[in-house]
Amino acid sequence: MNSIVATLVSGILLGSLYALMASGLSVVWTTLGVFNFAHGALMMIGAYAAWTVSEGMGLGLLPGILAGVATAALCGIVIEYLLIRPFYGTRHMLLVTVMTTLAALIILEKGAQLIWGAKLKQLPRLVTGDVSIFGATISWHEAIIILLAPIVLLLLWRFTAMTNRGRSLRAVGQNQDAAALIGIDVPYAFAIAFGLAAALAGLTGALLGSIRFITPVMGSEPLVKAMIVVIFGGLGSLGATAGAAYVIGLLEAFLILWIGLYWTPFALFLLMIAVLIFRPNGLFGRA
Amino acid sequence: MTALLSVEGISAGYGAITVLRDLTLHVGRNESIGLFGPNGHGKTTLLRTISGLLRASAGRIHFDGADISRQRPATIVNAGLVHSPQANTMFGDMAIAETLELAAFAPRARAGAKQRMEQVLTLFPRLAERRKQLARTLSGGERQMLSIGCALMCDPRLLMLDEPTLGLSPRLKEELAEAVGAIARSGVPLIVVEQDVEFLLALTQRLYMIEHGAVSREIDRNDGLDHGQVMQLYFGQGGEA
Repeated sequence: MNSIVATLVSGILLGSLYALMASGLSVVWTTLGVFNFAHGALMMIGAYAAWTVSEGMGLGLLPGILAGVATAALCGIVIEYLLIRPFYGTRHMLLVTVMTTLAALIILEKGAQLIWGAKLKQLPRLVTGDVSIFGATISWHEAIIILLAPIVLLLLWRFTAMTNRGRSLRAVGQNQDAAALIGIDVPYAFAIAFGLAAALAGLTGALLGSIRFITPVMGSEPLVKAMIVVIFGGLGSLGATAGAAYVIGLLEAFLILWIGLYWTPFALFLLMIAVLIFRPNGLFGRA
Repeated sequence: MTALLSVEGISAGYGAITVLRDLTLHVGRNESIGLFGPNGHGKTTLLRTISGLLRASAGRIHFDGADISRQRPATIVNAGLVHSPQANTMFGDMAIAETLELAAFAPRARAGAKQRMEQVLTLFPRLAERRKQLARTLSGGERQMLSIGCALMCDPRLLMLDEPTLGLSPRLKEELAEAVGAIARSGVPLIVVEQDVEFLLALTQRLYMIEHGAVSREIDRNDGLDHGQVMQLYFGQGGEA
């Protein structure tokens, strides 16, 4: 019984992290039609920037998290401007941006290695101490991540559904000419979408840096999981992406319980391949 | 007084293909003009160049005295020059009411957006009935109404309509023609592209015939040309009147 509750809680925690990551991928995809392979690296940049401000300069964790979000957003805007915008509207743009965002991933990972070195780093927790949920014990920091993720996702959904600035991002993704002709500045919308997604990645990284080690490659595993999430849920809608993130998080937690840590990635990728074969638009995606 | 819109000697095209060659025309203040001519001779390209979707390789475009030939579409819309393109599908996954709200995006269009929304829904009752429907579920005629409705939400000082009745049934065509007439009577100057010369003559003061990417003839309604004579010009000597 206890292990079931503990697994549920750790599944929800994983789901929260995947939801924060995958929603950024979804925003970029629905606006630019680009899959950003540097998304995990932006998460890592967020964690390192948070560490530099919080620990390196000793300014505290909250300013650190803010710095992590801002630095990741800035990097995202620069990546969009230098590595995606020049190829917009060209032939094979999707394939070319696979390469350019992979290049950004490599630049960021190697850059982080040069700047911050190979030594493992970790952030302090937002709140110390543990909390017990129906007999399962997790740290307060993890509990805050679980509570914060739905709030952030709800705000993001409200932004894209209820505000004209947020709607403009969806409009640009659906019909660029029509968007431009009602006065939406298309390149500006690209920058906002990319910056926003990078900010979400940076937030995830800054939060994750307290419960995992910060390394130059810390973003690759969450990115792979977020990829499974978006393949599972489709990239088109925020709700489906977030829902799929929690499903994958829970599934991963229970698979670890049932078949162990070693076979879990294997099972998840098997599932991903099955979805790609039988439901190529995602389980909740439109055909 | 200077013209509201003046297009001076523009050339434009797609890649290596030149569509417009040294085209010049103007729209005075308080007048509407019509553009007609054979398909594929540059009418749509002309509107796309004026609205900034396409950059002219030569020539100048002035709107209300300001040079807009190097401006982005968003800036041009915010100046009040608005283009409702041909067969515009708008945003498939967005509801009608949401799309119309979004269309008041330009800073100049924000004031009075609610009021204009009501005007648009009165002008197109079909849109009012389908307020919550997604754009991709609309018929061709309803999409055209949505496109024109969005253009009106931009609070245009000059509205460019590209074949507003293209491919519609006679009944819908009449409905849209009436709506366009109502827009003209409300005091919004128009540039209308249409094949139906009679419709243009009733709606506008002057017509330009566009052939091979340039103006081949200018027709003033006061010249007293009747429909038959215009048709003769259109189809050339021996053409059917």
